[in-house]
Amino acid sequence: MATVKHKKKKKKRASEKVRIPRNGQPAKEQPAGGEPAVHRSEETPSSNGQDGQSQPTQRRRATAQSMAASQRDISVSEFFAKNRHLLGFDNPRKALLTTVKEAVDNSLDACEEAGILPEIWVHIAQTGKNSYHVGVQDNGPGILKKQIPLIFGKLLYGSKFHRLRQSRGQQGIGISAAGMYGVQTTGKPVKVLSKISSRKPIHYYEIIIDTQKNKPRILNGAGDGIDIPIGETGIQYIKKHGIDWEDQKHGTRVTIELEARFIRGRGSVDEYLEQTAIANPHVMLHYTDPDHTERTYKRSTQLLPPEPKEIKPHPYGVELGRLATMLHETGATTIAQFLTASFSRVSSAVVRRLCHAAKISARMHPKRTSRREAEVLYHAIQNTKIPNPATDCICPIGEELILKGLHQVVPGEFYAAATRPPSVYRGNPFQIEVGLAYGGSAPTQNITPDLLAELLEETDTRTIRQFLINTFNGLGADAADRIIKASRLGTRQSPGKLKGADREKLYETMKNVNVAEGQSMEVLRYANRVPLQFQHAACAITQTIMNTNWRSYGLTQTRGALPKGPVTVMVHVASVWVPFTSESKEAIAGYPEIQKELRLALQSVGRKLGMYLRRRLRVKHQGERRNMFLRYVGEVAKAVSEVNGTDRLDLYDQLMKVAKRRTAEADLRLDDRGQPIDDEELKLGDHVLIVNPSENGTAIQHRPLESIDSKKGS
Amino acid sequence: MPKKKIRMKVNLPSKHPAKKMKQISQRDRKTRESLIGLADRVVQAAKQRKDPHIDVPSRTLSNVRYSPRKRIIEMGNNTNRRQLFNLSQAKAYMQTMLVASGCKKLVDDGKTTSIRGLFYMLKHTIEGTKEETFSTQDECDPIIEDTEVLLGNLREELHLYAQKRGDMVGPIVLNDSGDQIDCARMGSGGYGIPSIVEPEVVKFVRCDAKFVLHVEKAAVWQRFNEDKFWKKHKCLLTHGNGQPPRGVRRLLHRLHHELELPIYCLLDNDPWGYYIYSVIKQGSINLAYESQRMAIPEARYLGLRSIDLERCGLSESVKITLNENDRKRAKQIVRYPWFEKKRSWQREIKKMLENDFKLEVEALISKDISYVTEEYVPARLRNRDWLD
Repeated sequence: MATVKHKKKKKKRASEKVRIPRNGQPAKEQPAGGEPAVHRSEETPSSNGQDGQSQPTQRRRATAQSMAASQRDISVSEFFAKNRHLLGFDNPRKALLTTVKEAVDNSLDACEEAGILPEIWVHIAQTGKNSYHVGVQDNGPGILKKQIPLIFGKLLYGSKFHRLRQSRGQQGIGISAAGMYGVQTTGKPVKVLSKISSRKPIHYYEIIIDTQKNKPRILNGAGDGIDIPIGETGIQYIKKHGIDWEDQKHGTRVTIELEARFIRGRGSVDEYLEQTAIANPHVMLHYTDPDHTERTYKRSTQLLPPEPKEIKPHPYGVELGRLATMLHETGATTIAQFLTASFSRVSSAVVRRLCHAAKISARMHPKRTSRREAEVLYHAIQNTKIPNPATDCICPIGEELILKGLHQVVPGEFYAAATRPPSVYRGNPFQIEVGLAYGGSAPTQNITPDLLAELLEETDTRTIRQFLINTFNGLGADAADRIIKASRLGTRQSPGKLKGADREKLYETMKNVNVAEGQSMEVLRYANRVPLQFQHAACAITQTIMNTNWRSYGLTQTRGALPKGPVTVMVHVASVWVPFTSESKEAIAGYPEIQKELRLALQSVGRKLGMYLRRRLRVKHQGERRNMFLRYVGEVAKAVSEVNGTDRLDLYDQLMKVAKRRTAEADLRLDDRGQPIDDEELKLGDHVLIVNPSENGTAIQHRPLESIDSKKGS
Repeated sequence: MPKKKIRMKVNLPSKHPAKKMKQISQRDRKTRESLIGLADRVVQAAKQRKDPHIDVPSRTLSNVRYSPRKRIIEMGNNTNRRQLFNLSQAKAYMQTMLVASGCKKLVDDGKTTSIRGLFYMLKHTIEGTKEETFSTQDECDPIIEDTEVLLGNLREELHLYAQKRGDMVGPIVLNDSGDQIDCARMGSGGYGIPSIVEPEVVKFVRCDAKFVLHVEKAAVWQRFNEDKFWKKHKCLLTHGNGQPPRGVRRLLHRLHHELELPIYCLLDNDPWGYYIYSVIKQGSINLAYESQRMAIPEARYLGLRSIDLERCGLSESVKITLNENDRKRAKQIVRYPWFEKKRSWQREIKKMLENDFKLEVEALISKDISYVTEEYVPARLRNRDWLD
């Protein structure tokens, strides 16, 4: 995916470059008619001579005036309407996910900011062959009437862009872009209902975004929206208009109809919601999918995460251009005032040092600084030691809850979690958390014939191989190939057309093939509690995992690849400003500070895993040794009795006595450093959970979460 | 009732070996004693609640030394302890005991078998597991060699033999297990040298040969036999199909020491050929304990030589470039103590490395089909041009 996208971008850029000298430049710089000819001849040098002879006077294609007529503003919404892939609307499948994701993220942000335990309803229903209806409702504080059209009908409008605070949304593009996509593909308006109090009416809007003007156009209530009164009349009205509304004291519901495709498995809405549940144990999620299956992801904690604090930017993170703008926009009257008021961690001592280094007066008026002075100030900032920003503005999930969340969703026998102390990249504080789950039976082995039949019917993959890889988490291509080979089905057979007997065969082999060997690590990535599902190869998290040496922790790994084994790793990057590689928020950029923290966190859980695996191996070895002696002693006794005629059983008993004494000694001695070890005690430290693997459920994409009870093992 | 009778009849033949046991030879009695001694030590250790163990003389380069006086490779005194209650040695210990029991059975029954036969005799699934006692013959062969050195018994004393390899032809009359064999009348195939050629099995009756010419491969041997080289030069002609097996080496040893025939070797001019010569002359590292009765320090190396491309005017195309392995091997061989002091050998190997190619005996055929038998070897013998 990632590479294809890059190629597209490059191509586009290249074609633009070719066009610029012809179209863009002449309007300003071109002095006479001679210039364009030169440009053209540069582009086609070979045809120059011939052209000159046959066509002495070249026809001008466009004049500066005619070109000027077509030069105008590009609205943000127009730009993103054309480049919707930048926002995660590349294809119908992803569009559906992005829409749900944006709506849910906004809801969670709103609830948490208002200090309400979030409860969210997600409703997806099919309305046409390629169109779906997505409704997302929360129990948040609601939105003021006059803000609704702007929030849902204008791109780049929001509360989160201008502040530095840990939140899911950042830019203020998401939900309005989703609405725009819906309008573009189906023509249906975005329907928004919002209620701010039980005594106030519900505001109801049908909004279409005007892409040319980047402004909302309201369709109902003569451009003013409708207020649905509370009480019985309101409920009747809502029913009549075919709107869904879970009656709440307050909350917001947004409904978008869009061209989409519903899938299961990797990169699906199911996966997103499931992963959201892992990282947000305080959220209650109700999910109705297009097959009318209802699922509830119950909250496992009643505690809201602490409210993240908003912080001022740190001087290190500011760029020159931004600094110059800030200097001119500030209301402060002196540089000293400006610096202490606009930035965090700038004390008067720091101001003194900065001004000294920049050789400017601290009492100078900020608006009077020249461009050059701003530049000097910028360099002074970069070269002066300023304390790191306060890091208490970040709210990690916490080891405890990571373990809880992972254990609920990922089957395993060993869980470990680590939260790193906060750190700083480019003046932005951030914090890394890692959770790891190991072992458990493979998802393919926990399947039932009925579930398999269902999965086979609803899949949109073309081959069984694809079906296996996409449906079962962490099942690598290797394991899929092994299953197919063992089942003797054709590789290119379509999963939908599988007959009963073949299905049974597939089921049997899925049960029997050991997929754990060759299965690669599954990585769950989160940024500010939002799961990242695409572009994993481009993400700093995946890259850091690949570059970490997992071999020393008892996993197999080829250089520069994900380690193999039944392992799931979840990584959470929390920050006031998560550095994404693109607006669609799919991958995290690889700042060295972030990579370092990631590595340290991964190593910390890796070490615990290593200790656990080593002990497991040791126990296995001891068992093996005992078995081996038992096996061989019988043979030896028989051979000896054949040679010298001693009683075989007598000798066997005697040898067994020696064997028992010997293994007992060996068991005691078996430690890496040659010290007697206590098997009972495994010093893994805190934040580790070991469960009996036989008690675990499955990890099939399809599985409803609620069916698993929280089982906390020994 | 009749059933019982039948069973008794069936049982009868199996009692025969038991009767034979009383008539077994002195040598077999010695073998039996050493085998029983091995088993008794296990019982004793078990009684004393001690780890049963055996000390196997180690058959490695580090445990052999070259005796300049005897001019053969001798085995040192290093041993490897093999314990039953040690993870890495348990299986090998069990296998050694199995081999011992198998040999005991062979000696008792007065039968011999090939080492492959013994492998099949002992191979079975260990009770209660899916594990085999021996999975391949490669696993079994070194254990047999261990047992030989451990007990100080030779392979034939354990009633074992390796697959026979190698032929002989020439003016000699033998008595092989009671059959009179005239090796001058063996047609094109020759007399297949058995694996066991001890005086009890093979006796020399009459010999008219003046020397023995040992060649490396069957193809070259065929050439000499077809040209009746042995008739013309009154010699015995042997080959060992590459590295000669024990039977061939032991026969050469007996021919040399009992009939006082000089041994000449015609081998390829490559590290492999040099090593074959080294084994015939000094004995092998692996079987150093048998050097005494196998090595022929007086054996001579007739060819091919590194100078033969120019000396015989061979065409360039017969050259085979040395590979990395050859070069490495040659550098090892040149440092063997028995080659180290010999200037002619040092020159020879250095020359080959300088040439950076090897020559096979067959290369001489490029000159003329019978060049090797009619000119090359006679000329070397006439000029007494060989390496020692």
